[in-house]
Amino acid sequence: MTEVVVKNVDNACETAEEFTRVFYKQVDNSRHLTSKLYLDTGLLVWNGNGINGSDKIQKFLMDLPASNHVLKTLDAQPISESLVANKLTYLIQACGDVTYQNDDIKKPFQQTFLIVAVDGKWKIASDCFRLQVPYS
Amino acid sequence: MPKRGGGRPRNWKDSEHFEHDDRSQSTTRRVSFKPGTKGKNKFRNWNDAKLLLDDDIDMGANVGQAQNPRKGPFRGRGGRMNSPAPRGGGHGIPKKRFIAGLLPWYQIIIPYGAKHDKDVILRTLLSFISPEIFIPHYYKINGNAAVFYVDDVKIAEKLFNADRKITMPDGFKLVVIVRNAVPNVTIDADMKEKMKLTMAKRYNPATKALDLTKFHADPDLSDIFCALSRPMIMLAAIDIIAENIPDLEALNLNDNKLHGIEHLKILSSKFKNLKILYMGDNRIPFLGSMDALKSLPLVELYLKGNPLVNRFNDHEIYVSDVRKKFPKLTRLDGVDLPPAIGFDVAEDVNLPPRQQSFLVDPAGQDLVREFLTQYFAIYDSESRQPLLEAYHEHATLSMSANYLATDSRNSNTSRLNAYISNSRNLLRIQERESRRRYMKTGRLQVVSFLSDFPKTTHDLMGFAVDLLVYTPAMIVLSMNGVFKETTTSGNPTRSFHRTFVIVPNATGGFSIINDILFITNTTKEQEEKAFATGAAEPTPAAVAAPAPAPAAMAAPGGGDAQKMMLAMLSQQTGMNEHWSINCLQETGWDLQRALFIFNQLNSEGKIPPDAFIK
Repeated sequence: MTEVVVKNVDNACETAEEFTRVFYKQVDNSRHLTSKLYLDTGLLVWNGNGINGSDKIQKFLMDLPASNHVLKTLDAQPISESLVANKLTYLIQACGDVTYQNDDIKKPFQQTFLIVAVDGKWKIASDCFRLQVPYS
Repeated sequence: MPKRGGGRPRNWKDSEHFEHDDRSQSTTRRVSFKPGTKGKNKFRNWNDAKLLLDDDIDMGANVGQAQNPRKGPFRGRGGRMNSPAPRGGGHGIPKKRFIAGLLPWYQIIIPYGAKHDKDVILRTLLSFISPEIFIPHYYKINGNAAVFYVDDVKIAEKLFNADRKITMPDGFKLVVIVRNAVPNVTIDADMKEKMKLTMAKRYNPATKALDLTKFHADPDLSDIFCALSRPMIMLAAIDIIAENIPDLEALNLNDNKLHGIEHLKILSSKFKNLKILYMGDNRIPFLGSMDALKSLPLVELYLKGNPLVNRFNDHEIYVSDVRKKFPKLTRLDGVDLPPAIGFDVAEDVNLPPRQQSFLVDPAGQDLVREFLTQYFAIYDSESRQPLLEAYHEHATLSMSANYLATDSRNSNTSRLNAYISNSRNLLRIQERESRRRYMKTGRLQVVSFLSDFPKTTHDLMGFAVDLLVYTPAMIVLSMNGVFKETTTSGNPTRSFHRTFVIVPNATGGFSIINDILFITNTTKEQEEKAFATGAAEPTPAAVAAPAPAPAAMAAPGGGDAQKMMLAMLSQQTGMNEHWSINCLQETGWDLQRALFIFNQLNSEGKIPPDAFIK
């Protein structure tokens, strides 16, 4: 790995830590502000339900029961810049347990983000959330 | 323990009047003091502790001390019990008194009843207790004795008083033994089938209501003991209902002699829509017993006729206490309740239903399907080496693994040792140097890393697939699913979440450039459903297909899709562009069919060699 690539790997990891800290804090405690973390054209795929655009994402998130996420596993990789118009882009995978207020049962979840640096801010380009349940 | 709940003194006296030694009666009392009598008695098994095990709540009411004679307050009197004095005196006691037991059933034993026809015995008894009538349940000959059951305490008492009062035609007096006991039953497929048919008859599909009132007395169940008061039978019934009427909304369990209902807890997990529950005329002792049902979103409940209701002197307190347990209740015991005043705290919010698949662009469906089929066919094969072709020269891969917090199983098969030691969990791996090392770069490293994992079979039909990005330059694909470790002992199942970033490569095919993988244990639910659909070995045509119709192919944006398909077909078949286009055009740009036809023609040797010259 070249030095640039190595730095990028380090940075991806550190960004992932910071990003997930902010993201789950927003979702759990200040849900009404969460959509700011998404690109205007961002995509949320929540258990297979696709929601396009930060406005719709905001509405969707507001309709979910109050939540509490506990992160247990985190991983991240940089995406080759040649693929994404030279924008810094990271792939982040976060896994843990989430409890929703409606039933108060701890459920394992897995979530993968593609975040991209736009004007000095990290924004979510895509967010794929899945509860760990049988899908067949 | 509920076993020594009540009725203790009763039994003591109860048995005393049996001056005449009919063993079945006396053993119920003496069994624990004289273990030697065990086995001599042909009736004893009816009252055997283990036969009642599934009914431990009711047992308290029965001859409980027989199982537990040495514990508790009873002990002090054990000595007397054991002494011969009361027994000797018993012969002289002329007075018999019937004492009701707590079990709803009474076993009637007619020693030497086998000598007579069933009809003769029943008619004799009926005429003796006339004008009362009774229904003899489960009439059976057991050795020399005739045995049957009645479910009415009044009848039991009358029959009890008939003991040695009737002289039969053969000159002997008819001995009638009455015991508070439930019939033994084994729940087999045959019984379940009967229960199912009886339920079907009692189900109203229009209202999604199932009426199981006095279920055991249903004429269609006259030959089996199907009392819902027995937990085993109730649970079997619940299983049958859950299987056939998962969307049940109303259930009537009135008049079923229900006593302990702790096991009904399972109702809330099986019936999400159950809103109306009738449990009147049962024997539910305390309102606290209803806690088992608390998580049902009941709007209507009927409890009249249960002892718990009589415990309240003030009806309003009763209503308010019930409502505390079932806040959504609008009707109780047939009376509409005034609307409750609550707080507006979005408690009714539910999670949106889950979908198996999301495609940001329907045009990507076939490509995704093909790609995953191919990839996991190799991944699940003997050697993962051929995956070298699937990865980009500069591919990166990282894997993290963790145990499920909610899973308390701790068997060998649930250990994730094969993964944990290589897990790149950034929450644990803090050093930069380690973080770099745990990330595999370059296709060689990636594939050799993957090759070290246990051999697997993935449940492709059960995959949840989300296509997140689908542009000519880049495809991002996430999946959730289950695989089985095929060479690990016990073949444990694992759950995974994985994301591929895929790019077109120079040869017209596609390569994975980022692969990020999470592995954990399966939940119990996942384990049960794993590989449920079809064979474990998926055929390409059947794989992961919960997606829009292929018509989407012709939709705007089809240009890109066609290019992708072309590349895909060319990569998979090795045919050049010209032939690939031909093949796709022939099949109306249906990649599946194109591949199918290719395979067919190729196997027949009908594809000319120049189709493969690029």
